[in-house]
Amino acid sequence: MNGIGTAAVAAQVTLVVVGAPLLTGVMRKVRARLEGRAGAAVTQPWRDLRKLLRKEAITPLGTGPAFRAAPPLLVATTAVVAALVPLVSTTTPVSRRADLILVVALLGLGTVAVALAGLDTGTAFGGMGASRQMTVAALVEPTILLAVFALSMPTGSTNLSAIVTGGLHDPVRLASPAGLLATAALAVAVLAETGRLPVDNPATHLELTMVHEATALEFAGPDLALVELGTQMRLTVLLGLLASLSAPWGIATTTTPLALALALAVLTAKVALLGAALAAAEVFWAKLRLFRVPELLAGSFLLAVLAVTASYFLTGE
Amino acid sequence: MNDSVFTQLLDLACGAFLLAAVAVLWLRQLTSIVRAFAFQGVALAAVAALLGLREGRGELLAVAAGVGLLRAGALPHLMRRVLAASRPGDGGGRYEEDVSEARETRPLVNVAASLLSAALLTFLAYAVARPLVALDPTPATRALPVALAVVLIGFFTLVTRRRALAQVVGFLLLDNGITATAFLAASGVPLIVELGVSFDVLLAVLVLQILTTRMRAAFGGTGIDDLRELRDR
Amino acid sequence: MNPAGTAVALAAGLAAAGAAAGALLPGRARVPAVGLCTAGLGTAGLAAGTAALDGVRWSARLPGLLPLAGAHLAVDALSGLFMAVAGAVVLAVAVYGIGYAAGRGPYGVASRGVQSALPVFALTLVLVPAAASVSTFLLLWEAMALTSLVLVLAEQRGRPAVREAGVWYAVMTQLGLVLLLAGLALFAAGAGGETFTALRAGAPALSPAARGTVFVLVAAAFASKAGMVPLHPWLPRAHPEAPSNVSALMSAAMVNLGAYGIVRVAFDLLGGGPRWGWLLVLGTGALSAVHGILQAAMASDLKRLLAHSTSENLGLVLVGVGAAGLFASAGHPLPAALALAAAFLHVVNHAVFKALLFCAAGSVARATGLRDLDRMGGLRARMPATAGFFAVAALGAVALPPGNGFISEWLLLQSLIEGLTVPGVSTAVVLPLAVAVIALSAGLSAAVFVKALGVGFFARPRSERAAAAGESPPGMLLGMGLLGLGCTGLALVPGMLGDGLSRAVAVAAPGGGPPLTGDSLELRLEHLATSLSPLWAAAALAAGLLAALALVRVTARRGRRSHVKLWDCGGGAPTARMSYTATSFAEPLQRVFDDVLAPEQGVDVTPVRASTYLVERVSFRRSVPDRIERRLYQPLIGAVDRLGEAARRLAPGSAHRYLGYGFCGLVALLLTLAASR
Repeated sequence: MNGIGTAAVAAQVTLVVVGAPLLTGVMRKVRARLEGRAGAAVTQPWRDLRKLLRKEAITPLGTGPAFRAAPPLLVATTAVVAALVPLVSTTTPVSRRADLILVVALLGLGTVAVALAGLDTGTAFGGMGASRQMTVAALVEPTILLAVFALSMPTGSTNLSAIVTGGLHDPVRLASPAGLLATAALAVAVLAETGRLPVDNPATHLELTMVHEATALEFAGPDLALVELGTQMRLTVLLGLLASLSAPWGIATTTTPLALALALAVLTAKVALLGAALAAAEVFWAKLRLFRVPELLAGSFLLAVLAVTASYFLTGE
Repeated sequence: MNDSVFTQLLDLACGAFLLAAVAVLWLRQLTSIVRAFAFQGVALAAVAALLGLREGRGELLAVAAGVGLLRAGALPHLMRRVLAASRPGDGGGRYEEDVSEARETRPLVNVAASLLSAALLTFLAYAVARPLVALDPTPATRALPVALAVVLIGFFTLVTRRRALAQVVGFLLLDNGITATAFLAASGVPLIVELGVSFDVLLAVLVLQILTTRMRAAFGGTGIDDLRELRDR
Repeated sequence: MNPAGTAVALAAGLAAAGAAAGALLPGRARVPAVGLCTAGLGTAGLAAGTAALDGVRWSARLPGLLPLAGAHLAVDALSGLFMAVAGAVVLAVAVYGIGYAAGRGPYGVASRGVQSALPVFALTLVLVPAAASVSTFLLLWEAMALTSLVLVLAEQRGRPAVREAGVWYAVMTQLGLVLLLAGLALFAAGAGGETFTALRAGAPALSPAARGTVFVLVAAAFASKAGMVPLHPWLPRAHPEAPSNVSALMSAAMVNLGAYGIVRVAFDLLGGGPRWGWLLVLGTGALSAVHGILQAAMASDLKRLLAHSTSENLGLVLVGVGAAGLFASAGHPLPAALALAAAFLHVVNHAVFKALLFCAAGSVARATGLRDLDRMGGLRARMPATAGFFAVAALGAVALPPGNGFISEWLLLQSLIEGLTVPGVSTAVVLPLAVAVIALSAGLSAAVFVKALGVGFFARPRSERAAAAGESPPGMLLGMGLLGLGCTGLALVPGMLGDGLSRAVAVAAPGGGPPLTGDSLELRLEHLATSLSPLWAAAALAAGLLAALALVRVTARRGRRSHVKLWDCGGGAPTARMSYTATSFAEPLQRVFDDVLAPEQGVDVTPVRASTYLVERVSFRRSVPDRIERRLYQPLIGAVDRLGEAARRLAPGSAHRYLGYGFCGLVALLLTLAASR
């Protein structure tokens, strides 16, 4: 059983690493089609990564270890999260350690590493990006942890496997107002954490609107490839997490190879669907002004509070 | 309809009811606010209809239909007319639309702070309603805090918004909350009282509509702060 | 003989030797001698604390030491925890202090007065938790206040800011003492004895009103020592203005005693306070956490930033203590024990990383003379070891893995989630809000320490002083190394504290059983079906890091990295003036919290003469005043001032008038006596 559990973890991480650029490709394709363009091939992000990885590594003068360490650290934090989150199986060797708060904190570590790299360059853009990114990250934190609190209330545990298994056994919980509100709050937080519209525009290079891009401006070659890959993996993992929490069906609870294969297929479908939906929605959204973002986050904080209170009085104890 | 399905549906309706109140607080565009209010009317009607089905009371279903018609149909329609009247005529074209009149641009308490206050008000509603719920814990009474929270959020909207129409919506939220309290706590007030209250509300909205029209004629806007000009010096 | 007793006696002896060395030894020998004695004292404190955490108990009555009642000392696991923390911090900071004070002039930190006060202050830090009677406790408490005041004033020559800080500190700490004196005296009177044993025995006999009064008085006094809002204004003044080794001691060891006091008196002696009292403690902690971290986010003075962050962390500790009290008063010892364990662990973690942060800030101040982050920068290349230590400590402070602060905040959140099993409307409302507060302060602290590290140490120097900085001497690095080791150890194997922590918790909140199970590698929470293994997380991160680097290495066509000038969107290498400063980094946050912070800003434009369109000079200034201080203290100080002015009219300078006052007073007193008999 342990062998299959390990295989499940390996499959999760591999799927996230390999699938993340493809997910970005799919999302760009959906967006292009909706905007009336043909768009690049779905595998284009992979080709970009390969091209970047083969280029010469460049260290700008005046930067230090923080700048060098940020890209691999971003990938590493996301890979650890990809191993922890029960995307395809709830019984893995690491499922006992899959704590939701740890997952949130690991993602935060990646954000901090990139912000420090931005400051390390000493350029105005880098500082600006770091400052904005940390502002958004600081404001997302209450929302995300309160949503975690609301999600862990029915199970009484922040262990992700326990939460997902609980949702599988008791599907009513997922459709209850508390579950729906918590998922909605978490979804907004995910948008902010992954730097998607309406919080940040991943395609912009305009100084007034850049948040994440500004910190990554000085990266080139393999470093840039790792930053891009890390960002794409982050989106994939968080969409997968959202799918696992709101629609856990298909996740393997037993350790048979068949269940595992099925779970992998279902996971791919769920994440692709979520990604396509997000891309379609982004066509209609405009980026919020930076100082309107707190409003959005206050709103999602309120949703999380409502989720907590709703689970007090609606489903009752 | 078995127990758990009823509870689930009631909970969802109540959740939607509360969410609509939050949306009123969150949105700035007055047309969207009216839409959120209409959605809340639907949710309220659904709560009434669910209770009526559950208890097999025909008159409650009739009340639900009435509530739905009035709050999701008539009142939003009236408010949309006010909004439409506030736009300049065809001559100006769409680009000369008076933006300040169509939006709640600067509420007294900014939107983020309003949302945080709403979070605290929800907790307050929960804390206050707890002893009431403890008297008779049924699925319906458990949802009582939702109705109270909507009352508080409505009152908060009434206090902090500048545009007359946003205030009207605040007042109506307050009333929706009271109606919901009646439904959830006592399975609805007698039909005749409900009719009377609804009629009162309709009248109040009509009066307010006339008032806003007059205000616009006098001041050129519906900012409530302009009313200060009217006091004795 | 008892190991704890021996260690305490040794500590006292070393403190006396150190004080004598500080007062008597001349010039160059003074600082090392005092430093070694203090370090020895710290080691003794650490040993006593560790022994107590291992389950050793020790108590002693020294009749001759104090008039009337004599001095009482007792060491149990609870005091052991705080003694061990204080001892460890004293040890490392004393080693650091030798390098820090060496070569300074005859005034300031190397002077006779300061050097002889230092060991005494260190001794009080270690001994306050061991006091076992009201008089002993108050005496040690006051000695701690006085010696720390001397140390805060060490560098007052020619610096009015230090004197102002000294006045604030003296006034606030004495007011705190008055509250404490009143509270404990009331308690002792009600319980009919002044030793802690008597208080413990007499507590159940107290009326609820008396218990409430004692609780509020004592909690307020201890909260002021911990720098809690609204009794905090001394902290961001005194901590930055003191020499850095003293700031480290104050911020890492002294403020903890505020938390210790609340736990000792309210849990152990009173046997649990009223429910509303705990809500008050929790609310104060939450308010201080958010207020402290917001002020830190706005600060551009590095040491002031650290001082505000102390206020935040102690706020989090009090959130844990308050939650524990709340759960215990509702009769749920299990979550209470967990919350208290989280609070204690946070005390330990905070002490270690904050001491290191203050030491690193002190190294920077010593090398550059700067405390202003806006003028630092580029120190990473000039002081690599200091920058590394600062980074390690900052990782602990931001509550992200693999830092030590993350573990205690994780535990705190878990205890709040377990607290959901406690019924009642107050917990149902308070717990989610507490979670939100902890999350907000964690998020903001990430922004704060990214700012401190990124702006202060990275990029290029923004002033000549920063450009001329050099690495600190080895003594200072050794002290910081000890603390860095502590941070790393606590971050990777917090389980080694496990049993000691459980014993300390059991003294305060008995009946909960061990809050944590698991071995030294893993913290396991059985009731919550979850666990945290920091070492595993760190190893997984390292593996991920290696895999990412291997990916780059495997795919690379060209092996070497080439160093080229910054691109900066084609702008070429920017000057240091173009890079982001601490003030500009904090600007978005300041705008987000505009309504809460109410910053004051103004722009002065000087036009060129004879033209209103051309501008010669534009100056912009902004300050973010502490609103609580402004609203609460300024009116109060104003009122006291006016009272003083009014009282001056009584003293016109006539000697006859002054003699007359005395005469009238005497006659009035006698008349009252005659009339009342």
